[in-house]
Amino acid sequence: MAKVSVLNVAVLENPSPFHSPFRFEISFECSEALADDLEWKIIYVGSAESEEFDQILDSVLVGPVPAGRHMFVFQADAPNPSLIPETDAVGVTVVLITCTYHGQEFIRVGYYVNNEYPNPELRENPPLKPDFSQLQRNILASNPRVTRFHINWDNNTDRPEAIENQDPNLACGLPLSYTPIKGLGLPGYIPGLLPENSMDCM
Amino acid sequence: MKLLKPTWVNHNGKPIFSVDIHPDGTKFATGGQGQDSGKVVIWNMSPVLQEDDEKDENIPKMLCQMDNHLACVNCVRWSNSGMYLASGGDDKLIMVWKRATYIGPSTVFGSSGKLANVEQWRCVSILRNHSGDVMDVAWSPHDAWLASCSVDNTVVIWNAVKFPEILATLRGHSGLVKGLTWDPVGKYIASQADDRSLKVWRTLDWQLETSITKPFDECGGTTHVLRLSWSPDGHYLVSAHAMNNSGPTAQIIEREGWKTNMDFVGHRKAVTVVKFNPKIFKKKQKNGSSAKPSCPYCCCAVGSKDRSLSVWLTCLKRPLVVIHELFDKSIMDISWTLNGLGILVCSMDGSVAFLDFSQDELGDPLSEEEKSRIHQSTYGKSLAIMTEAQLSTAVIENPEMLKYQRRQQQQQLDQKSAPAREPGSAASVAGVVNGESLEDIRKNLLKKQVETRTADGRRRITPLCIAQLDTGVNATSTPAALSPSVLTTPSKIEPMKAFDSRFTERSKATPGAPVLTSMTPTAIERLKEQNLVKDLRPRDLLETSSDSDEKVPLAKPSSLSKRKLELEVETVEKKKKGRPRKDARLMPVALSVQSPAALTAEKEAMCLSAAALALKLPVPGPQRAFTLQVSSDPSMYIEVENEVTAVGGVKLSRLKCNREGKEWETVLTSRILTAAGSCDVVCVACEKRMLSVFSTCGRRLLPPILLPSPISTLHCTGSYVMALTAAATLSVWDVHRQVVVVKEESLHSILTGSDMTVSQILLTQHGIPVMNLSDGKAYCFNPSLSTWNLVSDKQDSLALCADFRSSLPSQDAMLCSGPLAIIQGRTSNSGRQAARLFSVPHVVQQETTLAYLENQVAAALTLQSSHEYRHWLLLYARYLVNEGFEYRLREICKDLLGPVHYSTGSQWESTVVGLRKRELLKELLPVIGQNIRFQRLFTECQEQLDILRDK
Repeated sequence: MAKVSVLNVAVLENPSPFHSPFRFEISFECSEALADDLEWKIIYVGSAESEEFDQILDSVLVGPVPAGRHMFVFQADAPNPSLIPETDAVGVTVVLITCTYHGQEFIRVGYYVNNEYPNPELRENPPLKPDFSQLQRNILASNPRVTRFHINWDNNTDRPEAIENQDPNLACGLPLSYTPIKGLGLPGYIPGLLPENSMDCM
Repeated sequence: MKLLKPTWVNHNGKPIFSVDIHPDGTKFATGGQGQDSGKVVIWNMSPVLQEDDEKDENIPKMLCQMDNHLACVNCVRWSNSGMYLASGGDDKLIMVWKRATYIGPSTVFGSSGKLANVEQWRCVSILRNHSGDVMDVAWSPHDAWLASCSVDNTVVIWNAVKFPEILATLRGHSGLVKGLTWDPVGKYIASQADDRSLKVWRTLDWQLETSITKPFDECGGTTHVLRLSWSPDGHYLVSAHAMNNSGPTAQIIEREGWKTNMDFVGHRKAVTVVKFNPKIFKKKQKNGSSAKPSCPYCCCAVGSKDRSLSVWLTCLKRPLVVIHELFDKSIMDISWTLNGLGILVCSMDGSVAFLDFSQDELGDPLSEEEKSRIHQSTYGKSLAIMTEAQLSTAVIENPEMLKYQRRQQQQQLDQKSAPAREPGSAASVAGVVNGESLEDIRKNLLKKQVETRTADGRRRITPLCIAQLDTGVNATSTPAALSPSVLTTPSKIEPMKAFDSRFTERSKATPGAPVLTSMTPTAIERLKEQNLVKDLRPRDLLETSSDSDEKVPLAKPSSLSKRKLELEVETVEKKKKGRPRKDARLMPVALSVQSPAALTAEKEAMCLSAAALALKLPVPGPQRAFTLQVSSDPSMYIEVENEVTAVGGVKLSRLKCNREGKEWETVLTSRILTAAGSCDVVCVACEKRMLSVFSTCGRRLLPPILLPSPISTLHCTGSYVMALTAAATLSVWDVHRQVVVVKEESLHSILTGSDMTVSQILLTQHGIPVMNLSDGKAYCFNPSLSTWNLVSDKQDSLALCADFRSSLPSQDAMLCSGPLAIIQGRTSNSGRQAARLFSVPHVVQQETTLAYLENQVAAALTLQSSHEYRHWLLLYARYLVNEGFEYRLREICKDLLGPVHYSTGSQWESTVVGLRKRELLKELLPVIGQNIRFQRLFTECQEQLDILRDK
């Protein structure tokens, strides 16, 4: 059972111009005081095709976390346009908010992001080279995709059963190891993570 | 009967695997598959029961949903108290939930449904042990244990008082375990598995009682669950999927001999779930009909993969009702309301159905008292002596008593109180923190939040705490009356001919539920067994040399079969033949064994003179040098070197003592045989029966004492010195006060039998010598009476049967250190065992418990161990209060109180073993106050204590 569960993520200032910072108001609940800080990250997916275009917009430590309900605003700068492939600048992409404890990711909240020109003319005839100053970012705030992972919340690492359900890649703390959720649909479901349901057929 | 399918109870079309109604009847839980996770939902019951509530939009239907399980939830079960909900799922976990009261409702973030949770249920324990999907969980009748079973082929018993402690892992199934049920009186737990067996386990030792395979031989392992059930009277266990003549059945297993002669037949496919009605019923008395008492009977619902449900009464051969086509897929779980008149059924198709019966259809339910009377008369189980219902009629006469009771209630209330949130008032989401509304906080959160940089330059945000957690139970819900409402009947209802329970000859003779059939014969048989067993207990076989002639017939209830008992008798006899045993712990007996001391004894023949030794204890031989550690904290040791210095041809022995670095030494003229020390004295015994005593600084306190015979064992505690001689006489002196405590007392009376030896010697702080003998008995010498008193007996049958667990203030209170505990060792577990032996008649258990506790109090008193005396006295008093023994309780109080008005002729002592009696009484008062029955005693004692205080 996760010691921390995210109660809500509110997307602030949405929609907003491409260059304005991201702001998420995150409220979460902690069932037991945490010994160490939580680490939150915002990852911007530059291109659905490859994770090499992923940008970690920011990462913050959050703590101390006593038992109870807490909230904070996570603000991060807009992605660096030069790292985004020109073909992917306009259209639908994804922004991810992840949280890790002791280097283990236990929740991943994904939002679809639609970047488009509010100006109808530009929309009709987009410039070859994307004009980021004209782009508007619209986060599909009403439909977050939440994936929770089972992690070891205790300090002792000699309890393999606590993390057995976990993708080993995630335990290593690799920030961008979410390959399975590529290929869009951004399903909050990673096949390898959840055990098969052994339901029998009628 | 009315039938309803509340369509709003669903998991968005996903299968529902389990359903369970809360004991207070106001809500129920469902468990199953959610959106890429397991899902537990708690629903409001009143919209199911009442159409008006269903239509009223202000009455919430869903109270809480929990998506914390990572995979499908197979089972949800409320504890009997209703305080907890346990859920088990494919993620191998069991989660235990408890109601919490928060500011404001919450939603499950990211779930498609945007409904707010009206009630907050928080996971308080997560139980990890299974290596496969958890299929079923079950709370024991008294909520002390939680059992879970899994596809890892095991059943795990969790200590529900102390999660996540595991009490036992039951191994033995060779297939996926898919169902569990507890015996209603707590003696057994049964499990059914895909390995075509149903196993019954004893809760006494968590071992297999029986494995039933025959009815399952033809079964295939394709049923998702095998939820079996035990009848509320405890007589029958009904299995899920069994086969008879290639037809699917639910096998009825009799508790008596685990016979499998009857079954419920008629379902066309495998039976997935059986659930007994929690009530026992009796025939409805029709006015005018003869008032002859009819046999009570039970009611049972059976659900199957064939999508139909049947409800049976054990007094009828045909089912009461069969409902077909209720669902599109297999039935997965059934739950009865506590009043026994309604059932909820859930299905793999993701829907739930509710059936409502009338008393005309089922009969009159027996009250809980009547039910517990049946249990008590059949199984002798000791239930709470005074139930709440009985208590409510008592009038509280004393305001102090009332105050006390009120305080207790207040404490309970305090625990429960918390910002209670009524369901339905969930509209206002904004809570208030320090007078500031959540909205205001949110506006300025970014500005207000504290952001720092860590040493490595990273941003660190201190989150704003918006609510404290609190797990106080919200007690606002009141049981909704089950009132009839208009219900739809979408499916056809027909009694079916094919359904028929096959009864055997035996059961035909006693139609109806044979609740009270065979009580007397069993009791007789049990008595016979007891006589046969005497006091041969498996536990003691290894350490007993059982020579005692006084074999007390044990009141030990035996759940073992006769054959097993005979086997044990054989083992004991073999043991006896195999003597002499080699046990390092016991000292060899000088008479039969040549000890190294024999040589010395010859040498000293002249010293022994004509001492006619009837008994001879081993004596230590002279050694060149030896060291003796007296204590480690403070560090103190004694070193002895014999014949070291020769002064003019005379050999001297040296005694050195080191106490925390400070050293002293002295010399003695003869060889030192043995030494002993305490923080107050050091003493050494030399050849020629000389005993010398020194102060802690090495000053000689007394001229050498001449012992009547050579020393065997020497002991010091405080300022007391104890010498046990080879002639088995014992002396204890207080060297500071220079008085004799025990004067050359012979051990003759306690060392009866030729091979009896002293295995351990103890001298208490108060100079009371205790001899632990090789037969497991321990005696202490009572100087004031000059008697040997038996203070402990390893074979004490009372200790094994005494059950005073309910009187223990807390779990750890068992541990009370002191001389008595040292002598008796860890006997504390025995009481726990006794608690599980429900087959002892309650009266016998009471008597043994009382006798045992009285023994303990008396022993602690004789040993002058004040700490232990207080411990056992309080325990004893608590037991007297719980079980309602007034006379003994009154006697204790009278003695503790003493005469209120001073009189010269009074023999009353105000203290006992250093404790002030009236202080003890003050400690006892709150205990007495717990039982209203003793309110007069409470008042008397309190008034008199007040008078004494005012004086």
